[in-house]
Amino acid sequence: MSAPTDAIVLRDVEKSFKKTSRRKDSTTLKTELVRLLTFQKKREDEPAQLIQALKGVNLRIPRGKTVGLVGRNGSGKSTLLKLVTGIYSPTRGSIEVHGRISALLELGAGFHPDFTGRENILINGIILGMSRAEVKARVEQIIEYAELGDFIDEPVRTYSSGMFMRLAFAVATHVDPEILIIDEILSVGDEHFARKSHAKMSEFRHGGKTILLVTHSLATVESWCDLAAWIDGGTVRMFGDPRQVVAEYRRAIAAAEAEAQKTGHSALSAPGLALPQTSSAPAASGTANVTGLRAQDASGASPEAFLTDGGLDVLIDYEVTPRAAVRFGVDLTSADGRLVFSLGHDAGELDGRGTVRLRLARLGLVDGTYELLATVSRAGEPPAPPHRLAVKVTGGALAGVVAPAHGWTVEPAATAARASGA
Amino acid sequence: MIRNLKELYQYRALLFALTARELKARYRASVLGFFWTFLNPTLNMLVYVLVFGVILSTSVERYPYFLFCGLIPWVFFASSILGGTTSVSDRKDLLTKVRFPAQVLPATVVATNLVNFLLSLPLLFLLGALYRDWPSWHLVFLVPVLLVQTFFTLAVTYLLSSLNVAFRDLQHIVANLVQMAFFLTPVLWNVENVSDVHRFGLHLSAQQMQDVILYANPMAAVMSAWRDIFYKHAAPQWQPLLVVAGVSLVLMWISSAVFERRREEFAELV
Repeated sequence: MSAPTDAIVLRDVEKSFKKTSRRKDSTTLKTELVRLLTFQKKREDEPAQLIQALKGVNLRIPRGKTVGLVGRNGSGKSTLLKLVTGIYSPTRGSIEVHGRISALLELGAGFHPDFTGRENILINGIILGMSRAEVKARVEQIIEYAELGDFIDEPVRTYSSGMFMRLAFAVATHVDPEILIIDEILSVGDEHFARKSHAKMSEFRHGGKTILLVTHSLATVESWCDLAAWIDGGTVRMFGDPRQVVAEYRRAIAAAEAEAQKTGHSALSAPGLALPQTSSAPAASGTANVTGLRAQDASGASPEAFLTDGGLDVLIDYEVTPRAAVRFGVDLTSADGRLVFSLGHDAGELDGRGTVRLRLARLGLVDGTYELLATVSRAGEPPAPPHRLAVKVTGGALAGVVAPAHGWTVEPAATAARASGA
Repeated sequence: MIRNLKELYQYRALLFALTARELKARYRASVLGFFWTFLNPTLNMLVYVLVFGVILSTSVERYPYFLFCGLIPWVFFASSILGGTTSVSDRKDLLTKVRFPAQVLPATVVATNLVNFLLSLPLLFLLGALYRDWPSWHLVFLVPVLLVQTFFTLAVTYLLSSLNVAFRDLQHIVANLVQMAFFLTPVLWNVENVSDVHRFGLHLSAQQMQDVILYANPMAAVMSAWRDIFYKHAAPQWQPLLVVAGVSLVLMWISSAVFERRREEFAELV
């Protein structure tokens, strides 16, 4: 069999669930019998009683790629994973999966509390699709990886939750799948084990495995994934470069939040509802574009990382045609998507190309990776999607958000000074 | 049906592992674990012996042994049905979190009880030995009779387990039906002691009545076969058994179809 280039192909996949509240009055045998005996007509399933979790999803997951799924709670991400895994079957559409799947939807499925870790490895391994011999061959490897020490021969009910998760994660990742499906479980155990599990994930990535992962950590998606899909309201809203998808997703969230602040209610308050469209239609009357974005330190160089106490110049190349009054905007967001600052400048009337410079005399940020977003817009028109630039900051080494310019002075009170003095 | 059984064979490692675990769990939980399995039928037997053997003074010879010959296979059947009915609906953890072949679950219950049945046989022989009743060469018939009973049990279990996912009150109904079937099946009484019936305009000779019981109730035929092997030391009547085998095959075909059709919604409904 020739290896297809796509590991997973979803075509027009729809999934509906019956509404539970409705099912209640016809779910027992008793009521069914009564209905039958009294010759009532079977009530038709009205479409209104169905919850449509997925409304026609088309997605191709290329072999060997790591694909992140982002989206709000209730947008259909988990349903999608369960469909790919084969736990659910689609209401309509087709799903092709090429390769052995291991799904890490919930760790430790089928663990029996009264059994020892070792015994549970065997049963869990078989449940996850390994043969008995395969599990036997990997048991030592799994035990070593889980770092449980002597606890491996104790009943699982005596484990701490961290130990339980570690064991479960160890089994799940030793299945040696071709396709790995992960739902929000990368943060297993303590710092040390979290690093180990990240290393394991890297190993999978570099081993050419296909990974499909759902996470709410947008930074993970940006740094880890080759591709990202944004699931919104049961459809794929965007699919492509993770940075672009995440940025667009953040923009929609921000737009929804802004709307919520204005009107008191928005798409955010109802789970699963699609987020509002972000306006990105180009202005018809003319164009105002950012054509380049650079960051420099005080000496005019573009270092790998900027110093907390150093300055930063943001250079925005623009192009405005025809002549118009324009406004520049520079936002800075932290890795977790928070807005650090938002600056705007009405530059007056401009025509043609040029460069605008924003000088930050002192950066004053704690260590981390930030993102600059630069926009230019014609007066009274919404800006086009921003230009982005990642900026690394080092030298502050503080916890928190800002690193203020500071100095310490100790001033002992006069009495204390006399008591200890001379 | 073929597909269902083929898949079951394909997942046999899982079936074995789960069955082994069930057995281990049962026998490990307490020191008495192993004895609990025997204690239940033994106590049951003592109650029935007291009621039917002593108080009602049945005419059946070696009544405790006679009773035990029927009770042990019956416990295999009844426990499988009762446990099997909820086997799918109780495993939300497996069905919604991993891709799990649901048909393994009812089969695990039947397999676990099958092993328990085999483990109880020494107890049966021990009781027989007290009556100086030794197993005879007719024990070879144990294999086909056990096959028929297991297949029949599996078919019923598949049907009930798949229906119980959507209709949760089925398990309570099943509990009552099993109790009823217990009295309608020749476990406590001997099918050969049935007398003529002249009631409701029906006139059946003892022989005809026996045939009605043996052919209408699959478990009656099986029970009677067990008695033939252990108690009478004779070859079991093969005609009723053949009918049961046929019924089981048809039932398995229906059960598999129902199971197969409902299987897709298991993960959503449990």
